[in-house]
Amino acid sequence: MILLKFCWILIIVNALTIGGGFVMLPMLQREFVEKYHWLTNQEFVDAIAMGQITPGPLTVMNAFIGYKIYGLTGAIVAMISTYLPCIIIVTIVAKYYYDYKESVIVNSSFRGIKPAVIGLLAAVAISLGKTSLVDPKTFGIAIISFAVIAFTKIDPTFIIIGAGIIGALFL
Amino acid sequence: MTNISLKNIFLVFLKIGSFSFGGVYSMLTFFERELVEKRKWITNEEFIESVALGQMTPGPPIVNTGICIGYKLKKIKGALITTVGQAFTGTVLAILLAIFYTKSKDNPLLGSIMKGVGAAVVGLLLSIIYKMAGKTIKDYKTALFALSAFFALALFKLNPIGLILAAGILGLIVYGRRAR
Repeated sequence: MILLKFCWILIIVNALTIGGGFVMLPMLQREFVEKYHWLTNQEFVDAIAMGQITPGPLTVMNAFIGYKIYGLTGAIVAMISTYLPCIIIVTIVAKYYYDYKESVIVNSSFRGIKPAVIGLLAAVAISLGKTSLVDPKTFGIAIISFAVIAFTKIDPTFIIIGAGIIGALFL
Repeated sequence: MTNISLKNIFLVFLKIGSFSFGGVYSMLTFFERELVEKRKWITNEEFIESVALGQMTPGPPIVNTGICIGYKLKKIKGALITTVGQAFTGTVLAILLAIFYTKSKDNPLLGSIMKGVGAAVVGLLLSIIYKMAGKTIKDYKTALFALSAFFALALFKLNPIGLILAAGILGLIVYGRRAR
């Protein structure tokens, strides 16, 4: 039952992830952490970090979450439910590319969704910040990682790994 | 031009998925070099179209670009194989990390590492918000969409799935008429 619910949530969320992998975070946090308590906020933050340090898309973090909730089966189900909606939608759109590109419905609804997603992400950042930023040191790490990723071309993977090393040494 | 077989498609996308970290643009350059320049499987025009399509469809843009290219090369089989290739290495590593993580959950060193990592993730999220806002929030209407969504989630705890659907419908009402 848990597995079925988990699978269904991922399918819905991925079908609504418009504008990049990070867009799924507010939806996943609500469903997995707040509604079903399958993960703590801390574990959710850790899952994002895992998605970031592994190569390939951030959505790989769903395999990490799936494993935590339901073992290896959970991880495999997570990957299928994450990518199945993409495969179905993209192959249909690829066939009707020019109609889709010019579609008023698609364009105007996306124009509403894209800015809204930024607001949702900001709310999630605050909620995760309450869990992760507990003292001046963690605040400092967050500010430095923000500045480096926002204003330089250094890959976020290195920032996450660097922060892990700093954590091992000083926290 | 190398032979376009399912095996070769899988191998190329496995390579793309294994050596690309975070950054979207570095990955796109990688795609272009492997598929357009080196192997000549698709034309530059098809590549640009696939990138655009990846950004206009729900799901991770890079994966969707890959699915679109796979579909162009070998229909539905190609779409499946590019997805598996791209996600394979990351998934295996994520599962290994998850096994390690669940086993050493109470290890104090892992706790310290994840404390640092967690703080960096918050910084990463802020930088994503900053970059997305720079691209998307251009006038008072887009700012209003973003602020309403923020308060709806942060203060009123409304469901984000419902909020995204609502934003889509509002977008249709606000922008739909003028586009015609």
